[in-house]
Amino acid sequence: MYFLNLSLLQFLALAGALTIPTVLLYLLGRSRRKQVVATLRFWVAADQPAVVQRRKKIQQPLSLILQLVSMLLLLLAIAQLRLGTPLATPRDHVLILDTSAWMAAGSGRNSHRTLMDEARDKAGAYVKALPASDRLMLVRADGLATPATSFESDRAKLERAIAQSVPNATALNMEQALAFAQHEQVLSPNRTGEIAYIGPGRIAADTGAAAPPKNLRVLAVPDSVENCGLRKIAVRRSGTDPDVWDIYASVRNYGTVPRAVTLSITFGGGPAGARKLNVPPGSEREVTFACRTRAAGLLEATLSPHDAFPADDHAVLELPAEPELALTVYSNEPEVLRPIVTALPRVRATFLPVAEYRPDKNGSLVILDRFRPPERPMGNAIWIQPPADASPIPVRETLEGVPFDHWCSGSPLCTGLHTKDLRLASTYVFEGAPDDIKIGQVANGPVIVARPGQNKVVVFGFQPALSDLRYELATPLLFGNILRWMAPELFRRSSAAASSAGIVTMQLDTDVRPEDVTVQQQDGTPLPFTTRGQTMRFFSGTPGTVRVQSGDGETVYSLTLPELWDAKWEAPAGVRRGLPGFRAATVLSRDLWELLALLGGLGLLAEWLLYGRSEGRIRRLGARLAVLRPGIRKAS
Amino acid sequence: MPQGPLLDRQFLEKLERLTIHWQKSFNGLVGGHNNSRFAGGGQEFLDHRHFHHGDDLRAVNWRAYLRLEKMFLKMFQVEPRVPVRMLIDTSESMNSEGGFKFSYARKLAAALCYVGLVRLDTIAIRPFAARLGEGMACGGGRHRFSPVMDYLSALELGGRTNYLEVVRQFISTHQQRGLLIIISDFLDDAGCERPLQYLADFGHELLLMQVWSEEDRTPPWLGDLDLVDAETEARLQLQFDEAARDAYTRSFDKYRNSLQQLALRNGGRYVGVSAAMPIEDIVFGSLVRSRVIA
Repeated sequence: MYFLNLSLLQFLALAGALTIPTVLLYLLGRSRRKQVVATLRFWVAADQPAVVQRRKKIQQPLSLILQLVSMLLLLLAIAQLRLGTPLATPRDHVLILDTSAWMAAGSGRNSHRTLMDEARDKAGAYVKALPASDRLMLVRADGLATPATSFESDRAKLERAIAQSVPNATALNMEQALAFAQHEQVLSPNRTGEIAYIGPGRIAADTGAAAPPKNLRVLAVPDSVENCGLRKIAVRRSGTDPDVWDIYASVRNYGTVPRAVTLSITFGGGPAGARKLNVPPGSEREVTFACRTRAAGLLEATLSPHDAFPADDHAVLELPAEPELALTVYSNEPEVLRPIVTALPRVRATFLPVAEYRPDKNGSLVILDRFRPPERPMGNAIWIQPPADASPIPVRETLEGVPFDHWCSGSPLCTGLHTKDLRLASTYVFEGAPDDIKIGQVANGPVIVARPGQNKVVVFGFQPALSDLRYELATPLLFGNILRWMAPELFRRSSAAASSAGIVTMQLDTDVRPEDVTVQQQDGTPLPFTTRGQTMRFFSGTPGTVRVQSGDGETVYSLTLPELWDAKWEAPAGVRRGLPGFRAATVLSRDLWELLALLGGLGLLAEWLLYGRSEGRIRRLGARLAVLRPGIRKAS
Repeated sequence: MPQGPLLDRQFLEKLERLTIHWQKSFNGLVGGHNNSRFAGGGQEFLDHRHFHHGDDLRAVNWRAYLRLEKMFLKMFQVEPRVPVRMLIDTSESMNSEGGFKFSYARKLAAALCYVGLVRLDTIAIRPFAARLGEGMACGGGRHRFSPVMDYLSALELGGRTNYLEVVRQFISTHQQRGLLIIISDFLDDAGCERPLQYLADFGHELLLMQVWSEEDRTPPWLGDLDLVDAETEARLQLQFDEAARDAYTRSFDKYRNSLQQLALRNGGRYVGVSAAMPIEDIVFGSLVRSRVIA
């Protein structure tokens, strides 16, 4: 006999807290109340009997006993008094089923079976071993612990959930899975059963933080660690040749013997490189390749020969095409501007005579060299010394032989610009608006003005290629800054990486502010991330593509590689192992709380019927009997 | 004891239109409450008449004589001189509900005094318990009301009611008949019917104002009670239930009726006042209906 809901100490405390006030209230309710009244003449007339009992004698003791016994019975019902042993109590177990990426590996004993199949079999056997009254919660554990069911006694539902469990893309976080299981069991402390882990125990990192719970049972799934796979692939544009992709690949041997493997790189179906590698056990090898292309396409890396875990033998990266800026130059003297424009990489310039000017409906960038267009351009435009009455920015005056004064500061348009003793033969001075960026100025006002807006405009008050400015290094730099300001996406540095799902860590450039970082999934939805210093982290539990934009750089992560283990979790010596033998120890126990609650309720009802509801009737009967006794007794 | 004034100014302003009424004519006294048609000593001018020999020369209109060389005598309205006395119970039994009943009785007394003062009546106030206490005569107009309030506020409770002794003292002290207002709970173990009958037989017009608190008429307590008489300290132990409470209330009401019958039988009036009711409702309700004031 034992309590299911309360300990004996708790029961005694509650019983005391209930019975003591009850007895006190009982005595208080039956104590005589002293009252000063104006006169006694009407009280005597009320024809009440004098009380003959002594005050110290408890009146109606049966009422008190009945109340106390009824309350104790109800308290026993609340405490769930049971016949039998505590072992026979239905309990709540948590089954942690390892669904990490490593579970897709072959079992080694049978080439067609994976570790996941073995774990599912063991989970099914564990469910069958449980007593019928016990409940079980199935938790799928990889990088995250995800409950697949609540505490469930329906065995069919549990077996369906076990059958639907498949390996995911992340490595096992054992500490989090055990903490989750313990937390679930804390919610029903008197039904705490086992926490059973089924899996090989390959974890992402051995933190060795917390001791495993005492009620842990481990059903180990034996695995073969002979695996060699791709750990990471990263590609980025070469710093010396923008048409070349630099490819970095990392291969790790998880096994215990050296492996000789071949890493093949293909781009668009054609071979782009291959390398033979001898990888020592437990170590990584990094190799680099170079691939020249401006086109977009799929870059595939394949490791051969395959092993028992083929998921990390192949990776695919999507390489973006190199962006180009379409620039149309309308000029009757194209040779003047050609050296400046063609010096800029990623710019595809087209030179057309002024007579062929048509406003481009696509809104591409145009340079208008000293002429009045019949219609204004529909996109971004660079105006070079337009006629004074056709200038998009009003001309204040025209000056000749004026010295150039200074370049602006604080704007990306003016980065790195520097000239000395520059003199302009003839130039306009513009009447700029407050929002305009005055790039270059003489003493009388701005001569190069940029106007931001939906269509960005830059106006030169002079022809830079015909002035002394053409001899200055600032000229190509100025045009580079202007194009970068007008089409920033063109100059964005792009890179790509193939890595495993889970936590991805990225080092940001020193000039990148955290608020300028965006992380988006393949469908454009933002992904939460954290930054600490210049280190940015995000988590992706599923394979896919994640795009990270930071400053003027963009990195595309193809999270197609599975996250594999770094260490093996070893259960301590005291942990129970193997399938449990619950059924042998099970003795039927019987709940008594319904009976106790019924008896308690009946007791209270009887007390009310006998002493509560009919109290007045009993007293009136006593009053009639008291007529035979002496009259009112006055104390004074 | 209350610290503030017994009655507020708004209530006193409402009382100014009221007058204390009595019903009987008293031997040896001139007039009743209504203005007399007869001339006599007084302050209000009534008429002139020819001077006759033996008339009081002080009443001759000498101005008229100087002008007409005829003597005319000024006649004045006879003013009522019925004495109004008020007995207020200060026994321990008035201490119900923490003195609330006595405070209510004082307010009632103050209201009646103010009504009398406004109409230039003179009211003698006498507290009583086992014996009559030192009294106070108030008269002379509303501006004399402040001493009345001070006097009533200073009254203290104490003692056991002895109506027989009080009535004996009162009759021996106040020979002149008049209106006698008794504000009390009339709770005397020896009974107060017989002494009150003495007063009526002596010729006083009785105005009995019985004040009770709610616990006097309907005790809120149930169960086993150990009762102590506030005046005699006699004890009574009993079990008290709803039925007993009904019997108690019936007995109390029966006693009220007997007091009312006694007052009416002797040409007096009876007003039962529950201290739970607002005093304004009592003054402008029960007292006006029973024509104590109008």
